[in-house]
Amino acid sequence: MLGEFEYLLLSAAARLGEAAYGAAIRREIEDATRRPCSIGALYTTLDRLEAKGLVRTWMGDPTPQRGGRSKRVVRVTAAGVREAKTFYNAVGRASRGVSWATVRDGGPS
Amino acid sequence: VTSLGWWLLNQLAHALEPAERDVVLGDFAESGDGLGAATRELMGLILRRQAALWTSWRPWLALFGVSCLAGLSLNRIALGLMEEVHRYSADYYTDLTDSQVVAFLSCLAVALLVWSWTCGFVLGSLSGRAAWLTWSGFSLVILHSAIAGLVLAGSTVTVDRQGHVVPLLRLLIGVTLATLPCSISALLGAFAGTRRGVLTVRQAYLVTVASATLTIVLTWATGPYGTAQMPARWPEVPWSTRLLPFLLASWPAVYLLAAACHAQNGNDRAATVGRGHQRATTRDPP
Repeated sequence: MLGEFEYLLLSAAARLGEAAYGAAIRREIEDATRRPCSIGALYTTLDRLEAKGLVRTWMGDPTPQRGGRSKRVVRVTAAGVREAKTFYNAVGRASRGVSWATVRDGGPS
Repeated sequence: VTSLGWWLLNQLAHALEPAERDVVLGDFAESGDGLGAATRELMGLILRRQAALWTSWRPWLALFGVSCLAGLSLNRIALGLMEEVHRYSADYYTDLTDSQVVAFLSCLAVALLVWSWTCGFVLGSLSGRAAWLTWSGFSLVILHSAIAGLVLAGSTVTVDRQGHVVPLLRLLIGVTLATLPCSISALLGAFAGTRRGVLTVRQAYLVTVASATLTIVLTWATGPYGTAQMPARWPEVPWSTRLLPFLLASWPAVYLLAAACHAQNGNDRAATVGRGHQRATTRDPP
């Protein structure tokens, strides 16, 4: 089972698709959670996901926007998609009937 | 000031692997983070990476086995050698010939250099990116553990054999000079260990045999050598007591040999698998 931050990272990488790399994923997570995302948490979690075979990463080409430095490009693997789906379904089932889940749907009955 | 700050940040980033350093500094450039935020983020990542290193047994073995145990023993042996040299130059010995004393002290000096180099090599190969901490610990122990012991015991002055007071600073300089050759030898070993990781089996055998021979010779020689300095009819120090400090200083040679044999076996296995794969590929054309 994934951790919460692992799920956020997988979701951000999947949403970005071809444009998924470290800094872009960090921005996506910050936008989604409205909380700062530390580089330390991002890259250590990325290593863990790669070790589990849930993402694949490699060094991209350097760009002038990054001062001529490389980026770490990320792709979610099929196993990563499966794990994210399992996590999402589990959260959905666990949230059934709780007050904060019904608030989003128009307020508690 | 800002450019100096960014230069310092770049230097700090050297604590990361080269590829990760490039990526992280690129991220800072792209996101336009300020110097303060970038430093905070970088420190966070470095701390996480350092913490991850310590989940392995290797840096722990380097810190406690080499830096503390072997370092402490090397410090004591080096100080013992310094004391023996002073005694010899003060014509203290009566029961031993000049050549016997010179041979013993030379053997001890060579052993110290060999053991220090071995300790440095093992420290470098075991520590990886945690080397800055294990090496700092080793340097502190090898250079200053005796002084630290005195200070912790509340001593600010010491007295030499003639009853003269020796200020702590003078003692500090004396001890540092006495242990400096060990530190330099260990530093050379640490560079080699960091660069190469393991020795070849033949080289490791050579170092281990040299180290073991010196340990045995010195354990044997300290018996009659120690007795010659004691008043008549004093019992000889047991061999196990004489062996212990030499064993603590020289054990990294055994690790060196074990690591070399392990690496050799790994290479042999990989070569066998590679040959098998090549044969299978040749038999089954795509």
